[in-house]
Amino acid sequence: MSEPFVIETSELRKQYDGVEALRGLSLQVPAGSIYGFLGRNGAGKTTTIKLLLGMARPTSGTAMVFGRPSTLEAASVEIRRRIGFVSDQKDLYDYMTVDEMIRFTAPFFPRWRADLEQRYRRSFELPADRKVKALSRGMRTKLALLLALCRGAELLILDEPTSGLDPAMTEEVLQSLVAHVASEEMTVFFSSHQIAEVDQIGDHVAIIDRGRTVVAGALDDLRDQYRRIELVFAGDAPEATFRSPGVERVRRKGRVLTVLSSAGSDRFVAEARALNPVSVDVAAVTLKEIFLETVVGEA
Amino acid sequence: MLWYKSFLETRWRFLIGLAILMLSVTGTVLAYPRVARLLPLVPSIDTSGELGRRIKDIADLSRTYRGYIWAQTLRQNVTQMLSFFAVLLGAGGLLSQASGSGALFTLSLPVSRNRLLGVRTATGLAELAALAFVPILLLPVISPAVGERFGIPEALAHGVCFFAAGAVLFSLTCLLSTMFNDMWRPVLIGCAVAVVLGIAEALFPELSQYSLYGVMSGERYFRGGGMPWLELLASAAVSAAMLFAASRNLARQDF
Repeated sequence: MSEPFVIETSELRKQYDGVEALRGLSLQVPAGSIYGFLGRNGAGKTTTIKLLLGMARPTSGTAMVFGRPSTLEAASVEIRRRIGFVSDQKDLYDYMTVDEMIRFTAPFFPRWRADLEQRYRRSFELPADRKVKALSRGMRTKLALLLALCRGAELLILDEPTSGLDPAMTEEVLQSLVAHVASEEMTVFFSSHQIAEVDQIGDHVAIIDRGRTVVAGALDDLRDQYRRIELVFAGDAPEATFRSPGVERVRRKGRVLTVLSSAGSDRFVAEARALNPVSVDVAAVTLKEIFLETVVGEA
Repeated sequence: MLWYKSFLETRWRFLIGLAILMLSVTGTVLAYPRVARLLPLVPSIDTSGELGRRIKDIADLSRTYRGYIWAQTLRQNVTQMLSFFAVLLGAGGLLSQASGSGALFTLSLPVSRNRLLGVRTATGLAELAALAFVPILLLPVISPAVGERFGIPEALAHGVCFFAAGAVLFSLTCLLSTMFNDMWRPVLIGCAVAVVLGIAEALFPELSQYSLYGVMSGERYFRGGGMPWLELLASAAVSAAMLFAASRNLARQDF
């Protein structure tokens, strides 16, 4: 993986029948990261993934994977040779058995990992002769995961990998993923609307809303930089405009002014003191709070 | 492996079609002695009307075994059933599978859409070829059972006609399958086109040997006019054009 960014999109737009699914989405996914792609249902996550895999064409903008444009058919074929993919519906062939599915998929990937195949067949306890249509949702997810993990891929793209699974199965799938990534050198790009999931296994995150990136970066950086600052005043909180960088949200409620800052708190607090608050309280924020403030707050 | 997948997706349509066509041909052959016994009893028919003309035509043709086979099975049963199964074989594919039935998995494989369509088309055409040739090649095999002969070259000639004309309907449904995201609309439209062509042939019988069904039944060959090479070539060209349009259409599709 020589490129610093495995995935790079710039001003990506996609319109379906007059509806804008993506409205200028820009992303940079660093090589070797576990990148959570967070957004509400219908935010544009699946559309983005389809564009990255060449399943749909963008209306405008660019989508590069491994430094190659995913919009060109020849480049897209090469890109897919290096990608493991699990769709949100765990799209597989219902009429094949588990064994047939595996034997069908392996020859397409020259770096197919027969050793991993054997390992996951055992650990996932997949019934070789059972038809895919007869598998439970959990088993289907495990099979889809096996087919993605054994491709010898440099990039795993997972669209809502745990959707529809119970908590125990979700945990099992996430642990398998983490263990796999720990032993293989690869990048994982996974979409989810489960904040806890991204928090649990991700090291980078992009939050998208209505087809645009609203927050992106390393999770640790976000945790360091995002602060909730609560200013309490003697009387009603003033209607103030702040010039400090990174002021994302300002809420007034009675005597309390709450500010979400994405650039730490020092400069903001210095500026806010000029308003003579009775107290200033600075608190770290969780990913869930960032999500709720940036996405739900915009709704 | 894509070949195997394509075969799995169409195998029941293909196998059922093959079984029905083989049964139809076999039944027609085995019924010949009874028909031959009844033919002298057919009274003279008033041929002034279209219906009378047709009945007389069939009765006259059936006075020889070759004519009986052509009139009863090649021109009618096999032509109609092969048309239907050609339409069925052409239906399906990526677009109809788009909603959770494997299309996204297929599209995530390192394979171009042209190759996907190419393999699917080639598999369908191979199955169509089997439907066109295998039942007809039964004729030389089972005709001795009723004391008759049917030449292998003649069977092959009719097989070529069935295949070339059937490929037109197959390609039409392939094209329609890249336009509609379900399996039934392409099948229904394909069948409707087949029926309209049949009606057109009935309305203009003087053009029947140039029509799709005229080519399919090998009428010119049967009547001693040789192979309809020009019509076969035209059928192949129309099929190729529709398959090309299907590939362009599929390349443009968003999934």
